Amino acid sequence: MRRLIVLLLLCVSLNLHAQSASPDLLHTVLGELSQHTAVRAAFTQQRQNPALTQPQNSSGELVFVTGHGMLWQVQQPYQETLALTGSKTTRIDANGNVQPVRSERGVSQISQMLQSMLAGQLDAVLRQFNVSAEGTAAQWTLHFTPKQARVAQVLHGIQLDGGAFLQGIRIDMQDGTQTDIRMTDTRDAGPLTALEKHALGLP
Amino acid sequence: MNRSALWLRAGWFAVATLLMILLGAWLLFGRGRSPIQTDLLAMLPATERNPLAEVAAQRLAHANGDRVILLVAHADDDRAKAAARELGHALAQDSVFASVTAELPPFDLQQLVTPYLAHRFMLLTDADRTALAQPGYNPAQALAQRVNEPFVTGVGTRLQDDPFGWLQHWMDQQPWSRSPLVPEDNLLTAHRDDGSYVLVTATLNGSSYDDVIQRRALSAMDQAERTIERDQPGTRVLRTGALFYAAAARAGAEHDVHMVGLISTIGIALLLLGVFRSPGPLLLAFLSTGVGVVAATTVSVLVFGQIYLLTLVFGAALLGEAVDYSIQYLSARANAGDAWEPRAGLRQVRPALLLALGTSLLGYALLGLVPFSALRQMACFAMTGMTVACLSVFWLLPALLQRSAKPLSAVSVRGALALQNLISRLASGYRGALLAAVLLLLAIPGWRQLRHDDDVHLLVAPPAALAAQEAQIRDITGLGNGTQFYLVQGVDEEQVLQREEALEQRLQGMVDAGQLQGWLGLAGMVPSLQRQHANQALLAPLFAQPDRMRQWLSGAGFRSEDMERWMQSWPGAPLTLQAWLKSPLATPFRYLWMGDDTHAGAASLVLPQGDAQSTLLQRAAADLPGVTLVDKPASISDLFGRYRRYASLWLLAAIVLIVPVFAWRYGLRDVPRVLAPPVLGIGFTLAMLGYLQQPLTLFHWMALMLVLGVGANYAVFLREGEPHVTHRPGAMYASVLLSAMTALLSFGLLALSSMPALRDFGLTLLLGIGFTALLVPTSVAYRMTSS
Repeated sequence: MRRLIVLLLLCVSLNLHAQSASPDLLHTVLGELSQHTAVRAAFTQQRQNPALTQPQNSSGELVFVTGHGMLWQVQQPYQETLALTGSKTTRIDANGNVQPVRSERGVSQISQMLQSMLAGQLDAVLRQFNVSAEGTAAQWTLHFTPKQARVAQVLHGIQLDGGAFLQGIRIDMQDGTQTDIRMTDTRDAGPLTALEKHALGLP
Repeated sequence: MNRSALWLRAGWFAVATLLMILLGAWLLFGRGRSPIQTDLLAMLPATERNPLAEVAAQRLAHANGDRVILLVAHADDDRAKAAARELGHALAQDSVFASVTAELPPFDLQQLVTPYLAHRFMLLTDADRTALAQPGYNPAQALAQRVNEPFVTGVGTRLQDDPFGWLQHWMDQQPWSRSPLVPEDNLLTAHRDDGSYVLVTATLNGSSYDDVIQRRALSAMDQAERTIERDQPGTRVLRTGALFYAAAARAGAEHDVHMVGLISTIGIALLLLGVFRSPGPLLLAFLSTGVGVVAATTVSVLVFGQIYLLTLVFGAALLGEAVDYSIQYLSARANAGDAWEPRAGLRQVRPALLLALGTSLLGYALLGLVPFSALRQMACFAMTGMTVACLSVFWLLPALLQRSAKPLSAVSVRGALALQNLISRLASGYRGALLAAVLLLLAIPGWRQLRHDDDVHLLVAPPAALAAQEAQIRDITGLGNGTQFYLVQGVDEEQVLQREEALEQRLQGMVDAGQLQGWLGLAGMVPSLQRQHANQALLAPLFAQPDRMRQWLSGAGFRSEDMERWMQSWPGAPLTLQAWLKSPLATPFRYLWMGDDTHAGAASLVLPQGDAQSTLLQRAAADLPGVTLVDKPASISDLFGRYRRYASLWLLAAIVLIVPVFAWRYGLRDVPRVLAPPVLGIGFTLAMLGYLQQPLTLFHWMALMLVLGVGANYAVFLREGEPHVTHRPGAMYASVLLSAMTALLSFGLLALSSMPALRDFGLTLLLGIGFTALLVPTSVAYRMTSS
């Protein structure tokens, strides 16, 4: 219910200049997304893995800063802060110590695409994915299928949906794993805390 | 000795020369492979006390030596990839390349994982090891983190094979996962802000130092690049590899030999023509020098098996010293006028020539004592060349110079006399002492500004464009530089791996501190058995109560059959180095293993990646048993520094050695007078180098040794010759000046060389010989010339 309200509010805040699915929709969406240089949102992630009997849920808050990366702060069912900056992933402990997580390429493929998307850098995305768009600027869905055979062996596709802000990410793997991330309470981030700046390598 | 005996001896000498030329020609051109060594590093001395380190350095040089790395860059991704494919195809057509890799064979990522499953409980990352060792390690949370990890692409281990992700984490830090090059469209690609870079590698079908291979490979690459440039405009190709450095070094040396050789030949020819006023003496002087150079080349190849580029360049300059002997004989002939008789003339110059040859040989023999094969070869070359040139004056020239000649040109003799008188007058008595004191006072600030520099790059100075391309390729691909590495030794492979682990712990600290990009070592890919057992021991408590483990796993949602299968695989077997080395995955890294020998023990190499300071790398190896940093450039710079410090002592020793020779010939009282010109010449040269802000190197000191040898010769020539030309004052100094000018024309031109070492050498000789030639009239008492 709350999500619906947020969605409605977003629709109101967004100029309804969008037409139905057009080749320009992708650019419109990207242009809109890149308007927000720093965004904060609450997220819930649900993952279904065929190896597991029940879906896994986690939730927390994320901060995205164009050109710098993303902070992924899990609050439930455990506490963890990951900083995804470019091709690097680091874990920040409670004391603010930054440890490198050397699983760079595994994490980076999708997170880098997201970072490029949110920064409006279509070239970097199109190098790795075929993209199609549907809907309107107020309510759109983008489909990404990997171009690289090696990636396509493991990744089936990614779907993003949203309006003024990104609202959902769905990742389908070839082994049947599905990840659904919903974002709520999306807003411009405002000033960052010292810890957030530190984690993203900002001055 | 009668006239026919003179001819007979000349005949023998000619026959011997001809045989020498034939032998030399066969050695140089008749054996298929050219004995000219273009590998600049090959002439560097063995620097390592540890013989295995030398072997390792050579092996590493060869692992990289015959490989060419190309990086195809374009702002547009598709064009970069198309260009790389085209380049790969074009190069693969040419038989000069044994193999060309642009497109990768398709392979399944899952294949990477399978061989490691049997060892999954033995392989842990540092981070997991630290976490597991914590008293508060929470398995349930670790599982939750793994199954909820954001944005995983699923490349790597399957969840049910690796519930905690330990193996996944370990695989993620393997070198093939860390490379900045990502396989894309079957090409290894890196993306930068300015576009895409695609890697193409090629292996030569032969050595990078073979000039035929060099020419063929370079022309094949140039042509392929032109085609690509046409098909995909805007493409850039970055290149690196020993091939390009070797080709550049060869081109530079050829340019030097041609330029120095040509200009000095023309200059000397014009001088001799002007002074002797006839082409005959000119031809004889060149004949004598030519015989010397041919003999020197032949003997050097015979003794050393090959000849260094540096020696050839030096040899081109040596012409200037070898020509002195014939100049002296030709001057004696010109000065004798109609009274010329070849044997009497020979008797007249013989003591001077022998004394000059003796001092030169002493100087070069000292140079030959340096345990540095390039210097030894230069010494061998010089000693042979000088001796043969001198012998040709004794045995060949008298037969060819039976008729008398025109006297030396009047202008040169008058000019020399005027200069000689001026200098003698200035330098005599009270005024001379005052002048010397003033000059020495002026020299002091110069001496005080002297500094030194022993950087190896003085000797091996790659063209800046090549070095810049290599740096860019290293930056984009992360491929290592190969000149600095650690040699890790132990009694067996287990100890070697343990010692590597101790080293890599420190290197990781440097990586975390941003001082180092990374490292490449075997222990990162195959931990020591001790480490593997310790890893297993860290996991053992988790498996101690299988029911508790089942509880954690089922709590995270794992299926019971997967759980059972996974727990059945505990504890598994350790991964052994030998088994790993045989796997196809190890192929690119096999050269890191130096082998296991019952006598010498086992050894491996660890390569630091990125530009780290030598002192930091040194510190990482400090106090670690069996670990040595092999830093070839630093070792050589060290060696240069040591020899430079000894060189000043050698110079002193050489002067001391000459003293008894001169004392025997001229009496002890006159020794300072004869020695003053070269010694003061050296002193003033040092002062000038100080004023010019030239840091002193080993090569400056080597040149000063030559200045001493040549300068002593001039003093000897003047003293010995002066009594014979009393009828033509100034003629003897004219011939000495002629010698000095030919030396300046040959050695001095080295100051224009492309090699910094030779530039230093040339400049020092230019200054030293110049000063000495001006000072040399003081070696003859003033009263003798004023009469």
